[in-house]
Amino acid sequence: MLEAQNLSKTYSGTPALHPLSLKIEPGEVYCLLGANGAGKTTTINLFLNFIEPTSGTALVNGLDVVQQPLESKRRLAYIPEQVMLYRNLTGLENLEYFTALGSTETFSKGQLLAFLDEAGLPAGAAEKRVSTYSKGMRQKVGIAIASAKGAKALLLDEPTSGLDPKASNEFSALLKRLSDGGAAILMATHDLFRAKETGTRVGIMKHGRMMAELRTEEFGHADLERVYLEHMHD
Amino acid sequence: MLFNIIRNDWRNLRADRSLWIIGALLAVLIGYGVHNGGAWVRFQQDTLTQAAEEEAGRLTLIKTSIESANAGRANPPSWRDPRNPFAVGNTQAAHYVSMPPAPLAALAVGQSDLLPYYFKLSLKSRDTLLGNDEIENPVHLLSGRFDLAFVIIYLFPLLVLALSYNLISSEKEDGTLAMTLSQPVRLGTLAWGKAGFRALFILALSTLISLAGTLASGVNLSAAGASPRFLLWVAVVAAYGAFWFAAAVAVNALGRSSATNAIALAGLWLGFVLLIPALLNVTVKALHPVPSRVELIQAMRVASDDITRQRSQLMAKYLEDHPEFAAATDDSMAQYAIRTAAILDELDRRVQPVLATFDEQLTLQQAMVDRYRFLSPAILVQSALYDLAGTNLYRYRHFLHLTEQFHAAWRTHFEPLIARNVRLTPAHINSLPRFHFQEEPFQAVFTRTTAALAGLGLSALLAAALSAWWLRRYPVAA
Ligand SMILES: Nc1ncnc2c1ncn2[C@@H]1O[C@H](COP(=O)(O)OP(=O)(O)OP(=O)(O)O)[C@@H](O)[C@H]1O
Ligand SMILES: [Mg+2]
Repeated sequence: MLEAQNLSKTYSGTPALHPLSLKIEPGEVYCLLGANGAGKTTTINLFLNFIEPTSGTALVNGLDVVQQPLESKRRLAYIPEQVMLYRNLTGLENLEYFTALGSTETFSKGQLLAFLDEAGLPAGAAEKRVSTYSKGMRQKVGIAIASAKGAKALLLDEPTSGLDPKASNEFSALLKRLSDGGAAILMATHDLFRAKETGTRVGIMKHGRMMAELRTEEFGHADLERVYLEHMHD
Repeated sequence: MLFNIIRNDWRNLRADRSLWIIGALLAVLIGYGVHNGGAWVRFQQDTLTQAAEEEAGRLTLIKTSIESANAGRANPPSWRDPRNPFAVGNTQAAHYVSMPPAPLAALAVGQSDLLPYYFKLSLKSRDTLLGNDEIENPVHLLSGRFDLAFVIIYLFPLLVLALSYNLISSEKEDGTLAMTLSQPVRLGTLAWGKAGFRALFILALSTLISLAGTLASGVNLSAAGASPRFLLWVAVVAAYGAFWFAAAVAVNALGRSSATNAIALAGLWLGFVLLIPALLNVTVKALHPVPSRVELIQAMRVASDDITRQRSQLMAKYLEDHPEFAAATDDSMAQYAIRTAAILDELDRRVQPVLATFDEQLTLQQAMVDRYRFLSPAILVQSALYDLAGTNLYRYRHFLHLTEQFHAAWRTHFEPLIARNVRLTPAHINSLPRFHFQEEPFQAVFTRTTAALAGLGLSALLAAALSAWWLRRYPVAA
């Protein structure tokens, strides 16, 4: 479960995020929409305790991320827009490292390879250096890291940007599986189509403010685009 | 957790060519430094051996000359007569007093190439300070040769910084920092894990290479006091390395780019390793100048002129002070001996104040450096390493002290022989006083080095505390 309580962030007087209250239950996929600079990454970084909130609290499974940074991160998985890995190591070595840091469980090489395969990394790439990977391949390693962790809360910051349509589709399927498994998912995205497909709720942000929240089952693709564009005007 | 961080760092370093370049560079520098120091030590040892051989030959010659003079085969003038105690004590049997290189001397040439390590001693006034016009004050860092101490003081920090200037900043720039910190890992754990591992790595490497080089250059670690000194040496280098790693973490903790870090750390290196020592050097020299050699010679010349004029009074006075010589005054050789002794005595007395100033100023300089060495880890390291290698002013002054004691003993030995106008025999030559260098007690070295070590530890802790403080406000996302 992810919860924001009056969470806000101000950078030297300029608000990047106005007080935001938000609750994402297990099994929900919450899609954050909004123009560049709307405050999506800021929200996610607050949940990661990468930046200090100006006010309010971010909770992961009820744990305050500022008070209990390590405990809350044990329950979190994060896929940024650019999954950055150790370039000189193989995808497998990267997965092994991040998994060893994040989970108490130790996986065999076979299990780790299975995670990579499941995330859609081409066979044979796992043991090549990451410096030879395309962006999409790195995203897939990121997905494998997140799914190996078996986290109860996922923070995704434009995770599919740069993925080919097939990979993007597979990613959506994977998200579905994780959310069916009881994960609470917060995903920032510019992809209205994906948001409608995989999201259970969408929030439209603008200038750090939550402008509208919708349930995806209540409207069609066209409606979402219309509502979004309406909010972007002024 | 820490194990994973270290293993990952190792994998990254291993895959990166820079580690091997740094390792190879370290090996070459250390090897070259130890080789240089070893060559200097061997040169000193050879010189001392030659001196001892020359002296042994001279003594044998004296003995055979005594025998031929006794047998009437030769009839030397009295001032060159090998049976004349004054001639023997003042020139013929002049004794080399020497300070052999300390066990670890090969590791730091230090000031030993500026300071004399042997004197040819006779009845003449002590002229130990005359032989060296170039006594440098203790922080003259750049005067050093390319020895292991130079590698450690100047280059080792640069290698440490090459391994650590982008410890965190590179991870931030590469984006791996966010990936890592989204896992349950503290930034501090990551930073100290990496820094600690790299520190251990480079330290183990330099210790191994130093040890190999040390043994290869002929240092005998089983010699008395050698191994505790070597252990202290390693501890000093470790503390110095720890300081630079902590400084690198502190600079990284400010959250700037790798390029900025590199510049900031180069600035710190410049300040601590070059600037502060140079400033201290200049200040010490300005505040406590050592009289120049010219001053000393001038004082001696004035004294000699005076003395020549007052020769007869001096002699009368000398005889008053040394009534035992009165019996010998009718012998012309003894006359000459006594007159010379009287003149030397007076000269000694006259030059004494200049020599004392010399000594005093050196003591003041040393005291000032000892006090202000805490301003820079580089000075601390230099003072400690030179001390452990026995190539600093302390051991030299200890040697001077022993030399003076021996000089007094030499005079005491010859004066009664001269006074009683004894004719020397080969047995006399065999039983001349011999100088044996006694090392300064290890306790003294230990106390001084551990003070430096404590200073270094404190500097490292201070840098670590700053790091810890800045790491807590590290901007992960910005
Ligand atoms: N470190 C910072 N210092 C000052 N302002 C910042 C900082 N980081 C972000 N901001 C500002 O906060 C606002 C929100 O930025 P944020 O990155 O959250 O936007 P976003 O919705 O993720 O945009 P995008 O779609 O481009 O990723 C922007 O106006 C940005 O300029
Ligand atoms: Mg963003």
